[in-house]
Amino acid sequence: MNPDQSVPVNPGQSVSAHPAEPDSRLRTRDLRLAHGSRVVVDGLDLALPEHQVTVIVGPNGCGKSTLLGGLARTLPARSGAVLLDGRELTRIPTREIARTIGMLPQSAIAPDGLTVRDLVRYGRQPHQGLLRQWSADDARAVEEALTAADLHGLADRPLETLSGGQRQRAWIAMAVAQETPILLLDEPTSALDMGHALEVLELVRSLAAQGRTPVLVLHDLTTACRYADHMIALKDGAIVAQGPPTAIITPDLVRELYGVESAILTDPVHDTPVICPLRVTPSGAAA
Amino acid sequence: MAVGPYAVLIPRKPLLGTAAVLVVLIAASAVHLSVGEILVHPLDALRALFGDGTPRDLLVVERLRLPRLQAGLAVGAALGAAGCLMQTLAQNRLATPDTVGLNDGAAAFAVASVTGLTTSLLPSGAALTGAATAAALTLALSGGAGRGGYRFLVVGLGVGAVFGAVTSLVLARSAADAANAAYGWTVGTLNSREQDAVALLALALVVVLPLAMVLGRRLLLLRLSDSVASGLGVRIKGLRLAVIALAVVLGGLAVAVAGPLGMIALAAPEAARRIAGPRTVPVLLSALAGALFTLLADLLGRTVLAPLEIPVGLVTAVVGGPYLLWLLLTTRTRRSL
Repeated sequence: MNPDQSVPVNPGQSVSAHPAEPDSRLRTRDLRLAHGSRVVVDGLDLALPEHQVTVIVGPNGCGKSTLLGGLARTLPARSGAVLLDGRELTRIPTREIARTIGMLPQSAIAPDGLTVRDLVRYGRQPHQGLLRQWSADDARAVEEALTAADLHGLADRPLETLSGGQRQRAWIAMAVAQETPILLLDEPTSALDMGHALEVLELVRSLAAQGRTPVLVLHDLTTACRYADHMIALKDGAIVAQGPPTAIITPDLVRELYGVESAILTDPVHDTPVICPLRVTPSGAAA
Repeated sequence: MAVGPYAVLIPRKPLLGTAAVLVVLIAASAVHLSVGEILVHPLDALRALFGDGTPRDLLVVERLRLPRLQAGLAVGAALGAAGCLMQTLAQNRLATPDTVGLNDGAAAFAVASVTGLTTSLLPSGAALTGAATAAALTLALSGGAGRGGYRFLVVGLGVGAVFGAVTSLVLARSAADAANAAYGWTVGTLNSREQDAVALLALALVVVLPLAMVLGRRLLLLRLSDSVASGLGVRIKGLRLAVIALAVVLGGLAVAVAGPLGMIALAAPEAARRIAGPRTVPVLLSALAGALFTLLADLLGRTVLAPLEIPVGLVTAVVGGPYLLWLLLTTRTRRSL
């Protein structure tokens, strides 16, 4: 990849990366992440803006999930660092991180027989100690999370009797009950139909409105544009562009990310970009 | 259940199940003390326990059967709890102290000591050393607990096989009467228990069981994927090592008392999980079930072919083998483990 092309040319609009964004609790510094000997993310500098919905987009295998795992410390940094409030994540006790950063990985599995309410209760684990095992605060958080995910009618059903979409919402409710300021969600709408996907994304928006910082990986670029305050476009483990979707989405960016020619329309209601894919970019012309 | 500002979530089903198993266990203990070549009335047996009764009853109950009962209870409880811990760790119900080489290691060392290759250690001490050696070897070769404890399991199978071969080799090369004396250490029996080892095991139970129960809620989270559990604040690697250590202490000491007693660590947690349901990791219930199974197996072994005694390890193998097959054949999908 030619480094000169790493930021799409878009005169008149500021699209430059701004890793020095002041209002940010979670950032990375020269971060390198790898699976075994395969380096997926290298030299990444990133700051997640507070109280905004950040959406990470990019082609398959670009390192979206890997980056999320790195931010959640499930994948240790090979070099560089993830910083929470200026402190290296590796120097913070696991429980303290779990009270600050919630993480919902892709395709999470649960043992059979576990009910929705059991699962949501697990979200309170970081707030409990050996003596303080269950409090009114925990009960309130669980009820609120069940309400937010529209799961009250299903609370006592075993997870394996639910549809994929309902199960996905149960997992999201668990992450919500954790009540962390930062919430990392890896493709939270992947198993959901249009209605439930919308519910989840509206829930994410309302969390941001309440002062939390959700970070999502989403597959669908148009949906991402609709819900992102801040968008990070990732390719080959490096940031190609970041900023508000209206500022960074261009046919050039879509071509560079996905190798697809497209027309960019504007959502008549929300004024966000709508991507209309035209055809695969002929090989040789791709970035 | 609420105590002051703190409240503890204790699901009712496991609590009732634990009470029920405890009652059955007490009943089985009474039968164990009363029944045998000499029948003692249960009330007389109870009186003898408090040092009151005919000299015959006192001898049979207090001197002969009580130590055996204590050994059986302790060994069964330890194996049940160890099995529960290892199965939860590995997310695999075939994971038990026997399958990670503890039993084979213990048997190899004990047999070697009985047949005279080493003379400085009592067989039970040798068994404990063997169990610890096997565990250390397994842990070292697998490079820690690893992902889901899976690697630990597979390496343990290999280590167990090597020690099994050592046992066979030692037996083949030793004189017939020495091999005969070592027989108990190859099948598992409550007949040759040593009181020091039993006391040590009881002490370990008193320490380890509460520890394991305190870890219980976090153990529950081990059943979710690693990234979810660590996202909820569980230090996975540390917890894994702690669980392995607890299981090895219990399993090793149990083998030191009774020899390689199979199937208990497999069957007891399975039964406990069926009683308790999927919402807890039933360490205590597994211990109780293990004690119960061991007592019942010993009772069978002492009475079925009386006056000939069948070692308890043979009984558990004879009953447990078909149980294992039934377990494998009736497993439809992934259950709680």
